[in-house]
Amino acid sequence: MIKNYLKIAWRNLIKNKAYTVINVGGLALGMAVTLIIGLWLLDELTYNSYFSQRHRMAQLFQSQTFNGNIGTGPAMPRPLEKALRDGYMDNFEYLIMSSWTNDLYLKYGENSISRPGNYMQREASDYLELEILKGEKDGLREINSIMLSESTAKALFGQEEPIGKVVTASNQYDLMVTAVYKDLPYSNSFKDTDYLIPWDNYVNNNQWVKNAEDNWGNNSFQMFVLLADNVGMEQVTNTIRNVKKDLNEDTAEFNPQLFLLPMEDWYLRSNFENGKQVGGRIKYVWLFGVIGIFVLLLACINFMNLSTARSEKRAKEVGIRKSIGSQRNQLINQFLSESFLVVLFAFLMAVFIVVLTLSGFNELARKEIEFPWSSGKFWLISLGFVLFTSLLAGSYPALYLSSFKPVDVLKGTFQSGKYSGLPRKILVVVQFTVSVAFIIGTVIVMQQINYAKNRPVGYDKEGLIQVPTFSQDFSGKTDLMRSEFLNSGAIVEMSTSSSPTTRIWSNRSGFNWEGKPEGFQEDLAWTEVSPEYAKSLNLKIVEGRDFSREFASDSTAVLINQTAKKYLGVENPVGMLLMDDDTEDPNPPLKIIGVVEDMIAQSPYEPVKQAMYVFDRFDNFSYYNMRLNPNQSAGQNIAIIERVFKEHFPEIPFQYDFVDAEYAEKFAAEERVGTLSGVFTALAILISCLGLFGLTSFVAEQRTKEIGVRKVLGATVFNVWNMLSKDFLKLVIISCFIAVPIAYYVMNGWLQEYPYRVILKWWIFALAMLGALGITMLTVSFQAIKAARSNPIKSLRTE
Amino acid sequence: MLLQLQNIFKWVNSGGQRIFLLKDINLKVKEGEFISIMGPSGSGKSTFLNVIGMLDGFDEGSYDFLDESVHQLKEKHRAKLYKEYIGFVFQQYHLLDDLTVQENLEMPLLYKKLKGAERKAMVADMLDRFNIVGKKDLFPAQLSGGQQQLVGIARALISSPKLLLADEPTGNLNSKQGEEIMELFKQLNEEGVTIIQVTHSEKNAAYGKRIINLLDGRMI
Repeated sequence: MIKNYLKIAWRNLIKNKAYTVINVGGLALGMAVTLIIGLWLLDELTYNSYFSQRHRMAQLFQSQTFNGNIGTGPAMPRPLEKALRDGYMDNFEYLIMSSWTNDLYLKYGENSISRPGNYMQREASDYLELEILKGEKDGLREINSIMLSESTAKALFGQEEPIGKVVTASNQYDLMVTAVYKDLPYSNSFKDTDYLIPWDNYVNNNQWVKNAEDNWGNNSFQMFVLLADNVGMEQVTNTIRNVKKDLNEDTAEFNPQLFLLPMEDWYLRSNFENGKQVGGRIKYVWLFGVIGIFVLLLACINFMNLSTARSEKRAKEVGIRKSIGSQRNQLINQFLSESFLVVLFAFLMAVFIVVLTLSGFNELARKEIEFPWSSGKFWLISLGFVLFTSLLAGSYPALYLSSFKPVDVLKGTFQSGKYSGLPRKILVVVQFTVSVAFIIGTVIVMQQINYAKNRPVGYDKEGLIQVPTFSQDFSGKTDLMRSEFLNSGAIVEMSTSSSPTTRIWSNRSGFNWEGKPEGFQEDLAWTEVSPEYAKSLNLKIVEGRDFSREFASDSTAVLINQTAKKYLGVENPVGMLLMDDDTEDPNPPLKIIGVVEDMIAQSPYEPVKQAMYVFDRFDNFSYYNMRLNPNQSAGQNIAIIERVFKEHFPEIPFQYDFVDAEYAEKFAAEERVGTLSGVFTALAILISCLGLFGLTSFVAEQRTKEIGVRKVLGATVFNVWNMLSKDFLKLVIISCFIAVPIAYYVMNGWLQEYPYRVILKWWIFALAMLGALGITMLTVSFQAIKAARSNPIKSLRTE
Repeated sequence: MLLQLQNIFKWVNSGGQRIFLLKDINLKVKEGEFISIMGPSGSGKSTFLNVIGMLDGFDEGSYDFLDESVHQLKEKHRAKLYKEYIGFVFQQYHLLDDLTVQENLEMPLLYKKLKGAERKAMVADMLDRFNIVGKKDLFPAQLSGGQQQLVGIARALISSPKLLLADEPTGNLNSKQGEEIMELFKQLNEEGVTIIQVTHSEKNAAYGKRIINLLDGRMI
């Protein structure tokens, strides 16, 4: 029986080639989109699945309250380690202190490279489930040891045996390679950890880390834990919540609340607002999940519409089969197996499309997704997916077609009733509602990105590079290097800073000033800079003056930005002193000498943070900021800079970033969403139009006789076109009016997340509607005009 | 008694008026009969045949087929009944265009859920009996009208029905082809198949052993 069904289905497909192409092609396209999104979702949702213990792995976070605002982050003070080890260790199997993931210069012989990695405590090797390729598992036992990832070892040693060799880190201290581990997979929170060095080494080699041992206020470290078998996340969180607050009076005023963030939440749900977990990337998972389902729905609607539109053709078959003894459920089975065949066909095509486009998609989405050929689970899910889709697409035609009465259709008097087209119309409305909403959504996302991109950054980011200087070697040589670079002609100005231009790495509090309100808990961005900072960035001084080398007193001077002026609440900040509120051993007061324009160093969607730019007395800088010579090409400039750099620091690899490129990175996530949703919108519209195209051709075919009669009676091509197009345009207009409020509601909600956001204008909606109408007209007109131009004699004779 | 219709009424409501398609029809058919139904266009011949064939319902009256009360049966049961006992032949042949002759013949057997080998044997038998073995792999569009109707009849007979219903079986055929079909009917009737046919032609009606005349839905 099935064989008979499939045979008929197959011959039907072959016979109606145009129909088949539209149907299978549209469905394949829709399925391909859904498949790709599915693979993407899988990749997102299985992030960190490398760790078999992930259900028990967590990172410590704390929420602190400043002036009523709750800030949440993973930065921990060092004394907390001792407190937890002393009193709470029965909750943890492992508790591991770690530095942030930092770039480090590694040198072996002539070979020097820069790689990111962490300083972590000894159990890290176990905790991270490192797969040791060479050397020993317990590689962090000795203080002067280093474990390297396979790729790093290869870059450093080539074919040489790495174990037992000594590498120099930051040109300062020697480390012996104790192990080489397999690189961690890319969808992993520790994917950038290319080396591990013992935590104690970090403490010994960095005075500030050593000093932080008893400082509850210095939140500069990470803490990872593996829970003991018998406890739960929440239970432990409840136990340790107030440990810091209870043990330290000084920071208690900020009400520090400790909690564990389970590893499962690190990647997808790591955003906090006012102390509450508010999601994060998970919103994109939802967004694309919904898009995937909608695109598939659109393709299924095409299938339903085209199948039912062709019903007149199939009606006879239904009549014959029924009169021969087929029961309704047998016909339903027949039509369902037909749709199964089509869907299976479409699925194979979709797989083909996905294989062809996956690498392009990976590039767009910054993923390394591979097609899971060998995964049985994938094929099983796919089979379910095919069955589901064939049910979704085939159920309506199956129920509709099988309901025909044999007498009606066999007498030849069969006519679809007045309302038989209604479900089809509703489906078209659904399709175009989704498409129009997609158009509006994409336009608004793009607008928001452009809006933020066009926001003045406050400095000149073009022709500006930054060179990392993470080594003690650079200390005391700033002036020398500046004049060397200036003399080389490659740059017009250079400064140093303790954070990159596009980031804020440090925040400070604990100041006193005249007129400070009672109980005000200040929090300012803190960047240490050399005197030419503003000059090299083309940062405008709006009040007071810039740093000057002529005034020795400028070593305790500070520039603040406009937001900071408002924040501090003083009318004339220039000349004001910011005193250290530590009365026992105070730092010298800082004198405000000028106000600079606000520059965006953090999110371009947020207000600029109050910031201070402090004279760098102790060479705490991490970057050279260089304004390139505009009269030469960037390439020439950089070649010269590299040569000069190598002359002075032959041991250190030369690296640089263009600040404008770094800044553009801030838009990467939104731009990816924008591009992807643009692509998916285009596909959604294409699929909808394919369906409309097919539908128009069937309607035109159905009304051939009517068109013939009308033409004989004197109708013009325009009259006929009008008659055929009107119905569809009406549907699309209805869709627009449904889509606009929905899109408005959703996009307005999305924009609320961005304090700096575009204002929704009515013309965006009007434009989307016009666009949809235009596309519909084009699609429908092609068929309508073709039908209208045909010779009426021919169509009438065939009756 | 093969079937019995008593006081059958069938009507449609149009513009507040009741238009009768069948009015007070009474008919008894015994096995082995060959009945011709005649009447002008619109007299209700086809409706009558469809009611007998259970393809169409009626509004009043009772219909017993092999001692089962058809008017009380659910669709599923009715389908079972006519699948078992009734074969249809249509004026427009109504073969499935996408299936070959052989596959068209096989279709009713599929609905009876017969096994593959059995089906093959019965199809071969029919092809043989109607002398169309050479055409078994052709599609309906490749056959002449007479040949198509032959296939139509073969398909109606393949499941050995007790009753063959034919609605103007020769209406689309030329006179020679028509005659051949009627001869075939006569022969089938002699072999024991009960036949009810609707026809316009006096000549064809004469093949029947009994002629029923309809006018405006009434038997006269």
